[in-house]
Amino acid sequence: MCWLCDEFGDPQYGNGIWYLNPKNYARNMYKLRLPGEGLKGAEAGLETGARAGPTTEDLIQAMEKGDQAGYIKIQGELITREQGSQVIPLEDADRVLELCSPIGLIACICRKGVRAIDERNELEYTCMGMGPGMLKWERWPERYKGGVKFVNIDEAKEWNHEMDRRGFVHILMLFGAPFIGGFCQCDYPDCIALRGAIDFGIGPLKSHYIAEVDYDACNSCGICAERCQWGALKFEVTTGKANIDPFKCFGCGLCETGCPRGAIKLLPRKSVPALAEVWR
Amino acid sequence: MTMIKLPDVIWGRPFPKITIDQKKCTVPFLCKKCLQICPTAVFHVARVMSREERLKEIDPRVDGNYVLFASRRDKCTVCNKCIEVCPVDAIKIEVPTAEHAKPEVKGKQWDA
Repeated sequence: MCWLCDEFGDPQYGNGIWYLNPKNYARNMYKLRLPGEGLKGAEAGLETGARAGPTTEDLIQAMEKGDQAGYIKIQGELITREQGSQVIPLEDADRVLELCSPIGLIACICRKGVRAIDERNELEYTCMGMGPGMLKWERWPERYKGGVKFVNIDEAKEWNHEMDRRGFVHILMLFGAPFIGGFCQCDYPDCIALRGAIDFGIGPLKSHYIAEVDYDACNSCGICAERCQWGALKFEVTTGKANIDPFKCFGCGLCETGCPRGAIKLLPRKSVPALAEVWR
Repeated sequence: MTMIKLPDVIWGRPFPKITIDQKKCTVPFLCKKCLQICPTAVFHVARVMSREERLKEIDPRVDGNYVLFASRRDKCTVCNKCIEVCPVDAIKIEVPTAEHAKPEVKGKQWDA
């Protein structure tokens, strides 16, 4: 089990998986902050630049100096400060969307920062906020420019499946743990969370699954290779089949949902002994 | 024993130094040319405001409301596409010098 399940899971629900525990979506988990009170942790946001402590710039400087020991120290501090987030496959996302309410579609803050993508209306939104925190969206007019589109469960699932079809990785985020408040649709290099995981070894945990190819069913179409954001899946020339590096695989399931022949399956991470407790 | 994941990078490689002239680059969120052309997404545009101002909506058309950063200079290959595309000539990139890149101990450059 990952640390999120250790902390926030309940064996009564979803075999102890943290995001299948309905309590983590409960209203009383959301802290009231009075106007004028400061922001802490992830809530301080990507955009204020006001976070205390080390930043990814410190990691970059350690790389430049070739200082691996220093890097590990800073990386540890950054990880300790994280609120928690994890990659989840589409099927689990559908179960999450049945647990949370309300659900609002919003503009993506990462695409805004990294590529200056200006998502102005509900047809363009590529991010999702969930839970009672969304009801306070009007307090942050800059963050929620264009407004929030509140959707029902079926609309949310339809939207999420469309995001999956487009090729985005699904990442579930805690905001004020154990409150689950955000559901990101990510790709590399436009998503800060994915960049954290791939470039720095921080950020979202790998999912509770690992993808595996059924070589008899694979017909070498290569669609899966286009969908992998992690550099884990490639076309193996010698065998003429898709090949997944399980050490790089984050278990997002995009290769699985993209395969027209059902040749890729998600194995439970715990069924792969060498990687059962590897979350980064 | 804690598991540690180190990123797959070349350790000790000096990174290019990217400077952005904020007097010239005033509306990066509207211009966005460098942000969108960079193959490795080195740049980041963010609004700059105090904590009190955080609750206000701001206008990206007003000079200085958004600021451009080269927050991922570790990914810069010095392809200079951003410099070519910048309409106000605000970006400068210094290539790390050979002197800087020289290994400290001969024959041990990969242990630096």
